[in-house]
Amino acid sequence: MNSSPSDFPSQLITLLAAGMLVIQLLMAVQRMLLTSIRLFALQSLLFAAIATVIAYCHNAPEVYWVVGLTLAGKVCFLPWLLNRQVRRIGIVQEIAPLLNPSASMLLCGAFTVVGYLVARPFTSLERLGNNTLAVAIALLLTGFFLMLNRRKAISQVLALLTVENGAMLAAVALTTYGMPLVVEVSMFFDILVAVMVLGILVYRIRESFASMDLSELKLLKG
Amino acid sequence: MPDLLLKLSLSAYAFGIVAGLAAARRDELARLAGAGAGLAAGTCGVAAALSELIGAPGKRVAFNLWPSLLPHLRLGVRLDPLGAYFLLIVSALAIALSLYSFGYVRGFCGRKSVGALAAFFNGLLLTTTLVFLASNAFFFLIAWELMALTAYCLVSFEHETKESRNAGVLLFIMSHLGTGCLIAGFLLLFQASGSYEFESFRRLGVHLSAGRRDAAFLLFLVGFGVKAGIIPLHIWLPAAHPVAPSHASALLSGVLIKAGIYGLTRVLFEFLGTPPNWWGVTLLSIGTVSALLGVLYALMEHDLKRLLAYHSIENIGIILMGLGAALMFLHTHHPILATFALIASLYHTLNHAIFKALLFLGAGAVVHATHTRNMEEMGGLIKRMPKTALCFLVGAVAIAALPPLNGFVSEWLTYQSLLLGFGTTSSLIRLMFPLCGAMLALTGALAAACFVKAFGITFLAQPRGEPAAQAREASPTMLAGMGLLAAACIFLGLFPSALVRLLAPLTLELTGQRLALTSGSILTNTRPLGGTVSTLGIALMGICLLPIPLGLWLVFARHSRVRIGPTWDCGLRGLTPAMEYTATGFSKPIRMIFKALFRPKREVQREYDYSPYFAKTLRFDSHIEEPFVRRLYRPLNRAVLRLSRRMRTLQAGSIHAYLIYIFVTFLVLLIFAL
Repeated sequence: MNSSPSDFPSQLITLLAAGMLVIQLLMAVQRMLLTSIRLFALQSLLFAAIATVIAYCHNAPEVYWVVGLTLAGKVCFLPWLLNRQVRRIGIVQEIAPLLNPSASMLLCGAFTVVGYLVARPFTSLERLGNNTLAVAIALLLTGFFLMLNRRKAISQVLALLTVENGAMLAAVALTTYGMPLVVEVSMFFDILVAVMVLGILVYRIRESFASMDLSELKLLKG
Repeated sequence: MPDLLLKLSLSAYAFGIVAGLAAARRDELARLAGAGAGLAAGTCGVAAALSELIGAPGKRVAFNLWPSLLPHLRLGVRLDPLGAYFLLIVSALAIALSLYSFGYVRGFCGRKSVGALAAFFNGLLLTTTLVFLASNAFFFLIAWELMALTAYCLVSFEHETKESRNAGVLLFIMSHLGTGCLIAGFLLLFQASGSYEFESFRRLGVHLSAGRRDAAFLLFLVGFGVKAGIIPLHIWLPAAHPVAPSHASALLSGVLIKAGIYGLTRVLFEFLGTPPNWWGVTLLSIGTVSALLGVLYALMEHDLKRLLAYHSIENIGIILMGLGAALMFLHTHHPILATFALIASLYHTLNHAIFKALLFLGAGAVVHATHTRNMEEMGGLIKRMPKTALCFLVGAVAIAALPPLNGFVSEWLTYQSLLLGFGTTSSLIRLMFPLCGAMLALTGALAAACFVKAFGITFLAQPRGEPAAQAREASPTMLAGMGLLAAACIFLGLFPSALVRLLAPLTLELTGQRLALTSGSILTNTRPLGGTVSTLGIALMGICLLPIPLGLWLVFARHSRVRIGPTWDCGLRGLTPAMEYTATGFSKPIRMIFKALFRPKREVQREYDYSPYFAKTLRFDSHIEEPFVRRLYRPLNRAVLRLSRRMRTLQAGSIHAYLIYIFVTFLVLLIFAL
């Protein structure tokens, strides 16, 4: 089934993707760590919704795997894990960005524009929704910027996860069925392992340095 | 049939690896499993190779080891004549080396992990076999890297010594350099053909521009040259080969460096098409330089295994001379001569594998018995280990290219091709041929001198040390392994026609010619007219001449009185080992003749009280240093280090800095893509 960009599922997907971008922007200005985690869960939920729409409308049952994994991993497990981490370390809720919120908001806006510019030549390849690819690239860029803009290891992990959401969205937007399932699943597990390792690492860093500020890792340089 | 044999052979190696690791705790079992697996796999491999080379040209054996996982990555194996010939070499050695290893490895029992050794050894055999059989560049490179990796494990097997560790690291670095070049070379070919299959690379040279073809040639020359150990890329070889366990050294010197020759032959004769003249000239010159310098440095060595390692460089040089001459003949459109030279070099490839393995095994038996690699501490071993001495002697005669053994045959063929080359062209380049022929003659003579030294100092005269005096003969399986190889040396020397016939399908594929060089046991070259020689005839003549001294003795000397007195003792009572000719002393004249090249460093320290004429102690130190390390590698090393120190400012140690690098690169790429 080849959907024209104006029918209902496509519009729904566009709406949901826009929602993901808005949440990303919210995360950029959010100072509270716990709220950020919740925002991330919400963003993942939106992604799962997009995948569900695709799976339902295009008769692509294997995409349900992606939905299932996203729901289990990114909506439930990872936020829970990060929450627990935050509680265990007992961090103050401050995220401590390098740039102030208004500047980072402006920059994120700029990145979104870049995303739209970059995606323009490819709009014909998109089979779902309007500008989903542009949103995906914008998510990637802003996610990256979030990673740059944070000092604490946990908030960087969070930013990495949003980057991954963007990558998944790009995969879904470009090809109806997403990437080959193997790649998607392996990517998912990569991220999972990365988060676990980082989680442990964060704990250790905290123990050894009595701080989670990654700038202090500079002292390790030989 | 070869299909099944090949699969059996590969799985037997795999079994050897698994069994070796599984029986890591039980030395005896691991020893048996490792040797047994290698033996079975080698036998199957020889059978598969022979059936491909002898059998009627039918359907090629080709199968996938494993279903494809990623696009372009196909673990494809195929058996074509060139691959089959090298499979024959590695499998034949696997038989002899596995037999030998059963006895040899006992020396490691309880001290080192025998299971790991068996696994590494079978692993090296397996990966080398796969290198020869890989049907696409991707799989070839994987097998190539695995081969380097297992070779590293074997070289640093005795990692307690610093020498082993350093040699392993050096091997690793050089090997990576080579593989980098190979990857670039294959990518060049891939760009032109659009596929990684070797089949699609065939005759690709005509589709490449001259510049790209030359670039590919240079990349492959360096890439395969590192593995083959051509000078000046050889520095890892004399460091790495001696420190491995001896059966592994034999494999490294016998087969591993041949992987470089295999690669060069495959790429130059099959892929790159009719070569420009300078390719052949380059190969021929590199071969000549490697042969000559290899043997000269070998002469200066007192470490028995290092000496053999330098001889590998020499023999690779001789093989390359044949290949280079073949390329030059292809350029001047003399396909028959090219075939002749190719046969010479491939024959030498097999011969060198066999006699070098034999010599390494002999050296291994000696080192095993005396616990030293220094020749100056050996001596008199012929009385303690007569059978080992005999095998070593056969190997030494073969490598010194004396008739009627196999080394003679292939070197004779190489000479012939070089001498015939003079008439192929009227340009000045033709002077190369007799010049290189003369160098080859010099190399042969020096090799003979070197093995007079190696055999004489090691096995003759009196023991120079306590361990040498207490040495025990090698165990039966070790002797069996050596005996097999010695028999092969004699067979390949006496019946060259058997092997030349095997090479026919190979040359038909590579140069389109099929040469009958032999009639019966006589080696001859009729078109264009060359020399004729029969090793069997020489051997028979030798046997016929034997009765003459016997008869003379019977007639004249039987009745004369025999008085036994000390030999050469110059009026002094009792000869001691300290009076013997030393290895250093033996090679002194050659060191003096080639003083300009060796630049020996001498140091004399004298301690005295009153006058230097009444010295209390005298210390004499003389050593030579290879110029390559000092002149080429150290400056290179310094330059790389300087560059990396500069690069280090990039490594700020801050995660944010790294993230910014990635982010900026990403952004720039995105915007450039617009």
